[in-house]
Amino acid sequence: MRKLFAAIAALGLLVVSPGTAQAAEPAKKVVKVGVTQSVDSMNPFLAVRLVTGAIQRLMYGFLTVPDSKTLQPSPDLAESWKTSPDGLTWTFTIRPAKWSDGQPITADDAAWTFNKMITDDAAKFGNGPAVANFASVTANGQELTIKLKTPQASMLDNPVPIMPKHIWEKVKDISKYEADEFPTVGSGPYKAVEYKKDQFVRLEANPDYWRGRPKIDELQVIFYDNPAAAIVGLKKGDIDLIGRLNPPDFEAIKGDANIVQWNTQGRRASYLQINHGATTTDNKPIGDGHPALKDVRVRTALHYAIDKQKLVDEVQNGLAKPADGSIIPPLYKDFFWAASGDEKVTYDVAKANKILDDAGYKKGPDGIRTMPDGSRKLQFRFSIHTDTPIEDKLAEYLTGWFKEIGIGLSTKRLDSTKFTEETGVTALFDIAISGWSVNPDPEEVLGTHLCSRRPTASGQGGGTESFYCDPQYEDLYLQQQKELDRPKRAAIIKKMEERLYTDAPVIALYYPNDLEGYRKDRIASITPIPEDNGLLYGGSGYWPFYTVDTVTPDGGEDGISGGELAGIIGGVAGGAVVVALGAFVMMRRRQDVADERE
Amino acid sequence: MTVTQPAVEALEESPARYGLLRYAAAKAGGALLSIAMVIVATFFLFRLLPGDPVRALAQGRNMTPEQLDLERARLGLDKSIPEQFVHFVKQTLQFDLGTSYEYKRPVIDLIGERIGSTLLLTGTALVMAVSLGIWQGARAGWKPGSRFDKFSTAISLVLWSVPTFWLGLLLLMVFAAGIGPVPGVFPTRGISSVDAPGGLGYVLDVAQHMVLPCLTMVAVVYAQYLLVMRSSVLDEVGQDYITTARAKGLRDDDIRRRHAVPNALLPTVTLVFMRIGFVVGGAVTVEAIFSWPGLGQLFYDAIRVPDFTLMQGTFLLITVSVIVMNTLADVVYHVLDPRVRSA
Repeated sequence: MRKLFAAIAALGLLVVSPGTAQAAEPAKKVVKVGVTQSVDSMNPFLAVRLVTGAIQRLMYGFLTVPDSKTLQPSPDLAESWKTSPDGLTWTFTIRPAKWSDGQPITADDAAWTFNKMITDDAAKFGNGPAVANFASVTANGQELTIKLKTPQASMLDNPVPIMPKHIWEKVKDISKYEADEFPTVGSGPYKAVEYKKDQFVRLEANPDYWRGRPKIDELQVIFYDNPAAAIVGLKKGDIDLIGRLNPPDFEAIKGDANIVQWNTQGRRASYLQINHGATTTDNKPIGDGHPALKDVRVRTALHYAIDKQKLVDEVQNGLAKPADGSIIPPLYKDFFWAASGDEKVTYDVAKANKILDDAGYKKGPDGIRTMPDGSRKLQFRFSIHTDTPIEDKLAEYLTGWFKEIGIGLSTKRLDSTKFTEETGVTALFDIAISGWSVNPDPEEVLGTHLCSRRPTASGQGGGTESFYCDPQYEDLYLQQQKELDRPKRAAIIKKMEERLYTDAPVIALYYPNDLEGYRKDRIASITPIPEDNGLLYGGSGYWPFYTVDTVTPDGGEDGISGGELAGIIGGVAGGAVVVALGAFVMMRRRQDVADERE
Repeated sequence: MTVTQPAVEALEESPARYGLLRYAAAKAGGALLSIAMVIVATFFLFRLLPGDPVRALAQGRNMTPEQLDLERARLGLDKSIPEQFVHFVKQTLQFDLGTSYEYKRPVIDLIGERIGSTLLLTGTALVMAVSLGIWQGARAGWKPGSRFDKFSTAISLVLWSVPTFWLGLLLLMVFAAGIGPVPGVFPTRGISSVDAPGGLGYVLDVAQHMVLPCLTMVAVVYAQYLLVMRSSVLDEVGQDYITTARAKGLRDDDIRRRHAVPNALLPTVTLVFMRIGFVVGGAVTVEAIFSWPGLGQLFYDAIRVPDFTLMQGTFLLITVSVIVMNTLADVVYHVLDPRVRSA
């Protein structure tokens, strides 16, 4: 019996050890980033999630990377490039750098990566669309030649990480390969050394990185299943930084002396999507949109009736910028277009009413307008997601404003899959909330308003964000695709934004800010992307986590840190429980013995 | 007829055993039928969900309609629903749960990677909740109306009514973050620390991570064991054999532990067996609060896409384990309680 008690007591004491064991480890500069999305696959040919894309940027070189100041494509693994006059042949010179295992990086690695994606269907999951326009890819020493099927100005925003051929060509079935051999061989500022599914990825500085070793030794990407717990983790110091916060979570980190509230311009646009007469790819009407919304005057009147500044103040807690442009946010200076002069729509109820009066939509006795032929009232539905307080609030404001111009609005709440279906495929909506996060090259977001993205006749969704199909817009899209001169291309893209603004298949409301938080007692410096007022997590490229540095190394610290203290207390508490349980068991045993003796 | 004759004779020699076997076989047959129905229901239930998995997976990526079609064909979504159903049934009968749309890996592997941590958490919580419930329930039922009875029953019922998410977050904020004099002793997420030591240190690290999620689960569910135990002990209190035991001069505690509790355990045992089935399903909410890398999270992710194969796989596993455990509960009940046998 004594032995049992001693064993339990010993176990209790051992519980204390994890806390103290940590203190003995050599001081490392570690930064812990919290993320609320788990890694889907460490194999870049398979992964599709945003968090995984961010980690790939840290582990592998790409052809180009957005410049930290201008966001324009700048050299990464490709030192330089040139284009043939017809825009079909691109020649990249690959930097003579080394893989993290010491092997030289050549154009052959890049050619292998792209050709693998072209020839092996299993390798297309991750970034297949990026090579869809590639006719052929060849390598000669450090020279990589890509021949395209049609000109493509977005070539320099290629999202494919270049993989080491000598490692990956051994993989037999790419679709089954988990890339779980660590440390990984890459060419980025970090290499992955450990990955636990749904838990974390541990990255170590790559000492041979061609730009030079990162300032810290280790970067941990730690997964939280819900933002509330992540905020607790940040406040406690279990993580040092968390990005992509929504306004309520951002407010929750206010007032903590050790936490910096990072509030800068974001990469997202929030807009209303208006069912202006949805059609399928064979131009047949689909859905049940209100006929009045086919009239651009009605759409414009709606635009005039929205007080965007008020929405920013009341719905977004002031953490956004009212949209005076279209779907590309001002973060992307080169491509951002803002309305001016007569075109500019500002909050003006009188003007909205006048537009509708002039167009013949007369108010009925109940104050709601009817179609000019009297057939139907202007009573619209507003589709939003369930359980989104922000969208509920938005709906309240819009309902109030639209009432002032004689338009009724009822709110329709849908769960996200149903919402996507009704507003993107079946067109069972009048007005819907929407939004898009834009990349440094805006081709993708522009593409979501093309005719070809409408649902097919058989009802398969094509990824449209508006059911838009406008000859002028289509023409401009093709023009910008071919235009390799950046300023000229930007001018065309601005015309596309202008078209979306005036024709109003979508009405941009505001550009939500990028909201993040980090501990200043842990992170001494970090450079956002773009450097001026940009993002830390969720931006493009590796800049923030390449430049991040910690507060003075832990080595100089004397005494025990909060975390270690907590560990020790936790250990003691755990130990106490074990001892108490042991004592309880002992007492029960004694009592039993006593009972038996009776 | 001649062939089966000796067998029948042999069985007649031990009628009790024969009865049990026949009973178990009947129950197993019923279970198999349920499983078959579940397989059919699983397929159509999830097909009712709105949403196009291919579109959801392509969201935020520049994919042309042709590429979307290619992807649909690859996943077999271009085929008609009856064709998909036949394929699904064939696959399932060969114990192949298919390949996840999003992870592009066999569903069985994805489940295998996560079932361990789920079983660890829900299993521990079940054992703790059952022990706590039985112990408190037995005492409460032995002296109904006593201060202990009122107190423990009230507390358990309050916790039973509390939303899991709320309680979990509260525990997280108080005991993981620390408030005022309460230190933040426990970790805020996961099953282990990033720099957890090896060996025994790892075990202790996991134990520390388990405290809050386990506490949440136990707090919310132990009331059911307490109440069932309490009411069945209550039934025994007035029985003649208890009076007899008292007349023999046994101490009150002994009468409770040696006579009343064993007799009162029966309904609780059944309940426990039924709950074991749900252990596999885990607790989606608790896993979500504490970022526990288990099946609940996998299932939740699958619904968001919707990742049909992954949903079917996890759902099948959960329902089948519930059915199997329910069947076992029936059989165990049969063995434990002679009254069921004679009936």
